[in-house]
Amino acid sequence: MRDVIKMVVVLGLICGIAAALLAGVRMVTMEKIEYQELKFVKGPVIMEVFKGCTNNPIKDRFKLKYNEKEINFFPGVFDGETNVVAFETQGSGFGGDIGMIMAVNLENDTVSGIGITTHKETPGVGARAKDSEPFKNSFNGLSVNEIIRVKKDGGKVDAVSGATITSRGVCEGANLGSEIYKNLKSDILAKLKEIK
Amino acid sequence: MSDYLLMAVSAIFVNNILLAQYLGNCPFVGVSKKMDTAAGMAGGVVFVLTLAGVITWTIDFFLLRHFDLVYLRTIVFILVIAALVQFVETFLKKMVPPLYKGLGIFLPLITTNCAIFGVCIINVRKDFNFMETLVFSVTSAIGFGLALVIMAGLRERMATARIPKIMEGTAVTMITAGFMALSFFGFLGMA
Amino acid sequence: MSIVKEFTKGLWAEIPPFRFVLGLCPTLAVTKSVETGIGMGLMLTFVLVFSNILISLLRKIIPPSVRIACFIVVIATFVVIVELVSQAYAYPLYQKLGIFIPLIVVNCIVLGRAEAFASKNGVVASIADGLGMGIGYTISLTVLAAIRELFGAGTLYGIKIMGPSFEPFTFMVSAPGAFVCLGLILCTMNLFGKAKDM
Repeated sequence: MRDVIKMVVVLGLICGIAAALLAGVRMVTMEKIEYQELKFVKGPVIMEVFKGCTNNPIKDRFKLKYNEKEINFFPGVFDGETNVVAFETQGSGFGGDIGMIMAVNLENDTVSGIGITTHKETPGVGARAKDSEPFKNSFNGLSVNEIIRVKKDGGKVDAVSGATITSRGVCEGANLGSEIYKNLKSDILAKLKEIK
Repeated sequence: MSDYLLMAVSAIFVNNILLAQYLGNCPFVGVSKKMDTAAGMAGGVVFVLTLAGVITWTIDFFLLRHFDLVYLRTIVFILVIAALVQFVETFLKKMVPPLYKGLGIFLPLITTNCAIFGVCIINVRKDFNFMETLVFSVTSAIGFGLALVIMAGLRERMATARIPKIMEGTAVTMITAGFMALSFFGFLGMA
Repeated sequence: MSIVKEFTKGLWAEIPPFRFVLGLCPTLAVTKSVETGIGMGLMLTFVLVFSNILISLLRKIIPPSVRIACFIVVIATFVVIVELVSQAYAYPLYQKLGIFIPLIVVNCIVLGRAEAFASKNGVVASIADGLGMGIGYTISLTVLAAIRELFGAGTLYGIKIMGPSFEPFTFMVSAPGAFVCLGLILCTMNLFGKAKDM
């Protein structure tokens, strides 16, 4: 009996120490890991939608809550003014969720760029949406006050040929982005002022 | 359905876990000397990997992700696998003695088989759903078993062959494995 | 004197995985380039040294019946630490090594040293053993990776070595090439005496 107690106590103790140690390391590294993940996974896409900005959008990021979920916002400085803000949004495509970054111009409320970060679309078909310039560029200049659709559905977006479902999924993500933007615009502006 | 079939063919032949993904090489070298031990190990791996894949996926999906403890995956998975192997061993010993006789001695070795742990990690890293996890676990294990059994067949032949002195032992096994991997490359066009 | 011996045996007499054929999976998988080879070697050395220290310290209080479970918990803890730290400070390396960082947990070398050495010897000897084995493993991985990267891509640590007329021998960086290359290295080692048979 004594052996069993000793066994349980020692094993429990080791597990306890291990858990405490790991929680500590996790606390120390958490912020750094988040930054690294943004930099290497989403960073290239963010820089793509922010071509020519003069700040480091990832470093200047801030968080706001929308529908109980925290969303990262990245401000972009052009010509000395913070006039574009990008944030994460998502749509559902053929193979699952499509993670997106959407940039909106704060002055005239139009989309200034979209980029796709993560997706599970079919290689060679839906996956082409990630790198298709004509497709992504056709979002630019659309107002967040209109519903974004592909041309087939009566909208203005050039769908990727053969990948209507993926293209619709990205439009869905953009519309969700418009909702987020419209709901949080005052908070975003307040936050930007605060940072300044 | 065709998706699952494609996944199965890919896991067994094209992306064979041993020959293309480099997982589970220790038992591959260690227990491939004789056909019957290789077959026993293959059976044990299919059995444990199927259970482990499904159980770790369930824990990950309902507990770790839910409580934001994904960083503890490694430690939780290895403990679950170790406990599972222990449990399977006791269970088979009591309830299915013939099966225990066949697989028993391989079970402790399976705890540190990286194929088991590796597949469990791949399942959750690739965001598989439950069915995908099940199919991927079973077929990966079958792929492992297939490569192991073929290797054992080759090594039984090699035991009687004359091998250059400096190539004896693990060296010739590795080179044979290399050519096996090369022949499995032939399946590349299939999926 | 014996401490020196514990350290140096990992560098030649029992150098893993060439002499002491354990821990093959990462040996084959991460040696496509020198960078990943060295990275994996150093991570394994860290886990090996610290798990050896802890297990050696705890060897008197761990009951024999649950020792494997205790070893696994200790090793897994250090692996998770490596995982988190590499994620925070060396993200590109973390991405390249992928699932092979968590797989250090099931690397037979670590559990093997814990069971065969650290649970029976003092702290200083265990550190020497862990350090020797870890550095030996790093050297092995670097050698294998250097050969594969040089012939497979014409570079070493990302720096171009071969001239412009060199046609990369891609077989070397593929899976079959890994097996054959390791097999040939084992042949070379056999020239200097037979490896421990498994």
